[in-house]
Amino acid sequence: MKDPYARDPAEILNVETETADTKTFTLKFVDVERQMNFGFIPGQFIVISIPGVGEAMFSISSSTSNRKTFSTTIRRVGRVTGILHSKKAGDKILVGGPYGSGWPMAELEGKDVLIVTGGVGLPSPRPVITYIDEHRNDYGFLEVLYGTKTPAESIFVREYEAWRKMKDTRLALTVDAISEGMTWTHNVGVVTTLFNEMMTKPRNAGVLICGPEVMMHFVVLDLMNRGFHEDQLYLSLERRMHCGIAQCGHCQLGPKFVCKDGPVFKYSEIKTLPDSGI
Amino acid sequence: MFSCILPAEQMDRFIEHLSASHRVFGPVRKGVECSFDRVTTASDLWFDYHTTILPPKKFFTPPRETIFTFQSEEISKIEDTIPVEKQVLLGVHACDMSSFGFLDRVFLGFRSDPRYLRRRNNFLVFALTCKEVAETCFCLSMGTGPASPPGYDVLMTDIGGRYLLEAGTNEGRDVLKPLNLSQATPEDIEAKRACLERLKGEFKRTVDRARMVQLAYYNQEHSVWKKNGDICLACGQCAMVCPTCFCFDVRDKVDVSLANGERYREWDVCLLKEFAEVALGGNFRKSRTARLRQFMCHNLSYGAMQYNLTKCVGCGRCIKACPVHIDITEIARELKEGSS
Repeated sequence: MKDPYARDPAEILNVETETADTKTFTLKFVDVERQMNFGFIPGQFIVISIPGVGEAMFSISSSTSNRKTFSTTIRRVGRVTGILHSKKAGDKILVGGPYGSGWPMAELEGKDVLIVTGGVGLPSPRPVITYIDEHRNDYGFLEVLYGTKTPAESIFVREYEAWRKMKDTRLALTVDAISEGMTWTHNVGVVTTLFNEMMTKPRNAGVLICGPEVMMHFVVLDLMNRGFHEDQLYLSLERRMHCGIAQCGHCQLGPKFVCKDGPVFKYSEIKTLPDSGI
Repeated sequence: MFSCILPAEQMDRFIEHLSASHRVFGPVRKGVECSFDRVTTASDLWFDYHTTILPPKKFFTPPRETIFTFQSEEISKIEDTIPVEKQVLLGVHACDMSSFGFLDRVFLGFRSDPRYLRRRNNFLVFALTCKEVAETCFCLSMGTGPASPPGYDVLMTDIGGRYLLEAGTNEGRDVLKPLNLSQATPEDIEAKRACLERLKGEFKRTVDRARMVQLAYYNQEHSVWKKNGDICLACGQCAMVCPTCFCFDVRDKVDVSLANGERYREWDVCLLKEFAEVALGGNFRKSRTARLRQFMCHNLSYGAMQYNLTKCVGCGRCIKACPVHIDITEIARELKEGSS
């Protein structure tokens, strides 16, 4: 029996600085077979483990079709992420997973897909963007609305041009504020201020939402007011997790284990639960 | 199944027999309380106990347990950290027997935890029919007692100066057989039945389980939560002593070289403020009311939705442990009355 608490060594192949406090790590399992068998669904997550420091869970931010490497995008917020940020290409860390249910790619087939995300919420739905691009005929229009506090906090900037050029795709950016003298040709305001210009209509659409709770709360409210149904809204939730396999108990939300039943939930599944944060 | 009679005066011989091949644990007096502990002679045992301070989950998922140790890059395997010695746990009441079914679903259901499995498999479990019903007991209304559920290797029942021993598994039978005890008679079985009937009449606390799963789930704004949340000290004792509470934290510890150390898990409880805390100070259950509601709803409602078994087994330990007398049976009653 494989110990689900054992982690596997992975090598850091590349570290890319996204913002002042966020980096993308490209990883590869040292064991060739482990890497080959490492398939995942957009929205699933991994655990990164540094013996002596601890473990933490992170969304997988790379394309699901890339089986040679995978990546995760990490903001420096605590002990584990602090140590991770000091790691360089060639260093080894321990990785476990993938965990969780991921975004409902099968259910979304044939539908328009709207992604509403903020800050470091973008890594989770990023594989959805590449997945739809690679399966373009299976999905309708793709619209990505991305908000950050300032332009300096936007991640994956190098890819926006390519996303815009994807067939039947629209990317709209917004920031809460710009500092004086800064050039910013996009919207200013919270992410919901992008809704007036939005192309996606409630009819035959699915909405993927990932960001801070307060953002998700207002996104859900606003979209419901615009005629979206609670069954069309999917949210990726953050919780404290220590195991990824519904045993440590920390991520429980009512009867749900966010690590096993989520992290993606339909709004209708969680709206009556207290402590959802939404 | 095999059953036999152990005269009370032969208890010494019985423990000696078990000790020859197993490490024996059982209920042992600790001040005015009782604790599952090591037993070497019959006089160590306290078979008239009500409940132990900590439930027997401590044997299968210990309060603090090594996940692995590491020396630089070398990481230990499970075999290095968990002994394989055969062990016997004596004197487990029906409520605690029921808790094993729940814990098995947690640790062996979705994914198998090899640590839990290894410890669980190392133990023969001897259930014990209760002698009396304590003030805080309510297993009858939870459907978890006073008759022990299956899962025991041997069931022991005091039928007056002698114990009826009933094997529940082949392993249990094989341990009993060499004792060459006299076979149980239909009268002995009848004596056990009468004992259980007497116990059923002694309960003072009850929970009306009908629709409780829905009642707790759909009444998240009920006044009972704030009322009890306001007096709750958030000490977490209720969850520590709960036989089915399974949550744990994972931590790392290193020596001065920073290269060697261990990763361990330690019981954690949802009543503590840090339990649902995330990065940057986020917390999904900041208020005591939210945390108390989580504990109570998990026991009365969510657990059943997760595992198809009610989490609360009616042992009453949380009632006994609570320094401000919060009572899960009272909460269940108020939910029922306030939302008919």
